[in-house]
Amino acid sequence: MNVDSGLNLMAACYGAGALSALLARWSGRLALSVGHLATLAGAVVGLGVSLSVLLGAPGRTLTQPLPALFPFARLSLSVDGLSAYFLLVISLVAVAAAVYGPAYLRTYSPDAGPARQATQVLALNVFVGCMAFLCCAGDAMTFLLFWEGMTLASYVLVVSDDRDGENARAGLLYMVMAHGGTALLLVAFLVLTERAGAFDFAALRAAAGDLDGTTRTTLFFLALVGFGTKAGVVPLHVWLPRAHPAAPSHVSALMSGVMLKVAIYGLLRFAFDILAPVAGPLPSSWGWTVLVVGTTSAVLGVLYALQQHDIKRLLAFHSVENIGIILIGVGLAMILWRREGVGGVLATVALTAALLHTLNHAAFKGLLFLGAGSVISRTHVRNMEELGGLARRMPWTAGLFLLGAIAISALPPLNGFVSEWLTFQALLGGAGRFHGPAGLVIVFSAAMLALTGGLAAACFAKAFGVTFLGRPRTAHAEHATEAPPSMIVGMAWLGALCVALGVAPGYAMRLLDAPTAGLLHGPGASAVVTARGPMVLSAGLTASGTAATAISMTMVTALLIALTAIAWVLRRGSRRGPPRAAPTWACGMSPTSRFDYTATAFAKPLRFVFATLYRPRREVIRETAGTPYVVRRIHYAGEVVDLAETQIYHRVQRGISSLSQSIRARSTGRIHGYIGFVLAALFVALLLFGVDQ
Amino acid sequence: MMTGERSLGLLLFEMTFLVLLGPLVTGIIQKIKARIQCRQGAGVLQPYRDLAKLFRKGTVQADTASGLFRLIPVLVLAATVAAGALIPVVRAGPPSFPLGDALLLLGLLALARFLTAVGALDAGGAFGGMGASREMTLAPLVEPVLMMVVFSTAVAAGTTELGALAAQRGTSWVLAWHAADFLGFAAMLVLLPAETGRIPVDNPDTHLELTMLHEGMLLEHSGPGLGCMLLASHTRQIVTLGLVSALFFPIGPANGADAAGLLLGVGAFAAKILVLASYLALVESSYAKLRLFRVPQFLGIGFVCALTALALRIL
Repeated sequence: MNVDSGLNLMAACYGAGALSALLARWSGRLALSVGHLATLAGAVVGLGVSLSVLLGAPGRTLTQPLPALFPFARLSLSVDGLSAYFLLVISLVAVAAAVYGPAYLRTYSPDAGPARQATQVLALNVFVGCMAFLCCAGDAMTFLLFWEGMTLASYVLVVSDDRDGENARAGLLYMVMAHGGTALLLVAFLVLTERAGAFDFAALRAAAGDLDGTTRTTLFFLALVGFGTKAGVVPLHVWLPRAHPAAPSHVSALMSGVMLKVAIYGLLRFAFDILAPVAGPLPSSWGWTVLVVGTTSAVLGVLYALQQHDIKRLLAFHSVENIGIILIGVGLAMILWRREGVGGVLATVALTAALLHTLNHAAFKGLLFLGAGSVISRTHVRNMEELGGLARRMPWTAGLFLLGAIAISALPPLNGFVSEWLTFQALLGGAGRFHGPAGLVIVFSAAMLALTGGLAAACFAKAFGVTFLGRPRTAHAEHATEAPPSMIVGMAWLGALCVALGVAPGYAMRLLDAPTAGLLHGPGASAVVTARGPMVLSAGLTASGTAATAISMTMVTALLIALTAIAWVLRRGSRRGPPRAAPTWACGMSPTSRFDYTATAFAKPLRFVFATLYRPRREVIRETAGTPYVVRRIHYAGEVVDLAETQIYHRVQRGISSLSQSIRARSTGRIHGYIGFVLAALFVALLLFGVDQ
Repeated sequence: MMTGERSLGLLLFEMTFLVLLGPLVTGIIQKIKARIQCRQGAGVLQPYRDLAKLFRKGTVQADTASGLFRLIPVLVLAATVAAGALIPVVRAGPPSFPLGDALLLLGLLALARFLTAVGALDAGGAFGGMGASREMTLAPLVEPVLMMVVFSTAVAAGTTELGALAAQRGTSWVLAWHAADFLGFAAMLVLLPAETGRIPVDNPDTHLELTMLHEGMLLEHSGPGLGCMLLASHTRQIVTLGLVSALFFPIGPANGADAAGLLLGVGAFAAKILVLASYLALVESSYAKLRLFRVPQFLGIGFVCALTALALRIL
């Protein structure tokens, strides 16, 4: 496909989708259908554009000027390998969301008025369109405009379900945090644009070449906090588990699966492309910080996810975890890139792992959010403790959710394992080359990654088991029925992606060639990772020149399938006929759904083991009848706290409150006083900044 | 395609060998335990008889279980046996097929464990849930340490290919051990009871709710399904023992692929497994089961050993 016309067509699709909100004047249903169809078309065009760039001639950068909206900045789009790769990730999930969306919105809120439907269609198209074009931005102005558009549109979607006051609060927190991050990004970009005198990335790159070390590192950390807020790294994640569940489920899939990745795109673009020194490695503080932040996010994200009972909140915390895993790869790539004697090949492996995990996480997290959405649209319950027994009632949803659960737990033979395996290999290779404490940090991070994988498996055994297995715990779950076909198709698309990327990951390496080679100016992913053919993944060569570890997911899968067939024959046994059904053994009592293990109970041992981090609080109130021996009712409440929230945010909140209290004393309501303050502020500003001139 | 030293035929032979030998190891451990406890005990072939009995029986299934429940034993067995294909048994050296990565091995075992836990929740009884919850609590604590032990040998070799790691070990014995090897091996000895589901972490002989982990998850399986699950846990045990012997003991000096070399390799493997099995039996007879919440502290010893081993390798 011709990239220029593709971009135009994509803009037309998303624009038409946004305009189709007007159809809601006549029929809300029509607006929903047309709007999502336009999103689908835009996503399919996006797929075409990105594939043609990724599979086309390497090293090409296509630039397309945009209408001159501002006199001081020329707006433009520019598509290179990295842009195209993230456009691919966005489009893949957007296809699923667009197919899934209309049926979901209709079944979840059948009584929604046309106004809400129009808002959702408009915001969805703006949201997806902004993300898609953000990755293609060719200058800082375009980048920031689309960044803001993405934030505003997703805010609208978060609060679009207006029946719930909780959503409005979640939206407010999201808005504040997102703009705090954007403010830092603005500073980082404007410092560069001021030096460059222009907005386009090429000029910024040239301007960044003359920066001294301190400024460069300061700008990087500003950008890291700015992008980190959007990506939801610990401790900047507090908005994420509130805002993501509040949005409609297919939008949650987009926010968790894709929007966080856009922040990763921004970080990669800013650090490796724009801000990197002309020659030599990146300052070592960058990579180590990112590595440590990533490890922390991965472990804390999954630990907090374990204690959640709201299925969408649980998934949102897992996004924090997976962003952490991606950042481990990114950090390692930063550490290893262009470092003498350590070898650029390993940096390529690390970046490949991070980028592959970006795609993988988009696929399985999208799938899991859509699966959770199917459950919620049928039961209107988000609390797992009120569900159960859905595997018999919604077999397709259950099967696909299990697929996603296996993938996210990094278990073979699905895609989550592949990218974590690559991350492990990169970590191991890095540890072998850095001696001393640095090597130990890397190895410790590998151990934490292993812990994360184990905890994720525990978490998803709980999430899947409590939601889908056992007996239904409430009437909502009892009367659930399978989701409509279009929703299943949306999930199956992402499920197929999880299987394909798990079983034949070698073919995906071709897509990673352009971004890795473009960013690191070294060998592409497939030259390193699939040096032995597309069926075999290997982690490059070791320092001593011996062949490093290799696995073939295809062969493992073939082996698993063959063994399953043999085991199935064994399982059938010599007796034919269906199994006899009998009630579950409950020590002689007749079992009810109260006998099923709950999510709280399942996660309780881990709550004890990690009590230092959870600070669990439990409250038991007994209502007794006169004597303490006759208990009428027991009220139990338990909760775990998010350490970041209590230790950082609550303190900041208290600080702001007391500050505003003290300001209130000076705020007399008389205008003279205010004018005095303004003058004083001006005087101080002149003293501080006017000296140079 | 890499030219390795172990052909696909050998790999499949080793896998079959492990699966067939798995129940025998359990039988031997039970026999040693019985003798230590001054009992006669069942014959070492008893696990085979149990399996044969189970595979002949019909199935009773919980009426609340979903369609997934019947598939669980099959998938668990397949994943565990596939893990067996990755263990070098009779010869060291990388396989000609890229099958032999230690991380993949741990992944496959984790897959089997995950599916077992999911199956335990399917029947909807409290026992299954309790077993699953406890198993999934301990698994995340065991896996990182296991991985660190693997890393402590892998960092030196620059690969996580088990065959290559075993080849690195060569034919040298304890005299050539590095300090890190001793610590790594100590960590492994702590982890072994946890990974094979034995005292002091788990008790394989009981269905009492206070003590059980793994057995609780099997409670609702019956007939051939239970047979598959039991065969899987026998296989898991021998695979774990095989992992330890591949990482720390030299592999039989079988240079040629001839029958004599093969036989020597098999004999050496059997001897190593026997030593480790006696260790398990000894520990199981001489210790009581730990309270569940003491187990993390017990595993902590393994973690410290593994971390020190790694530090020694890297510093």
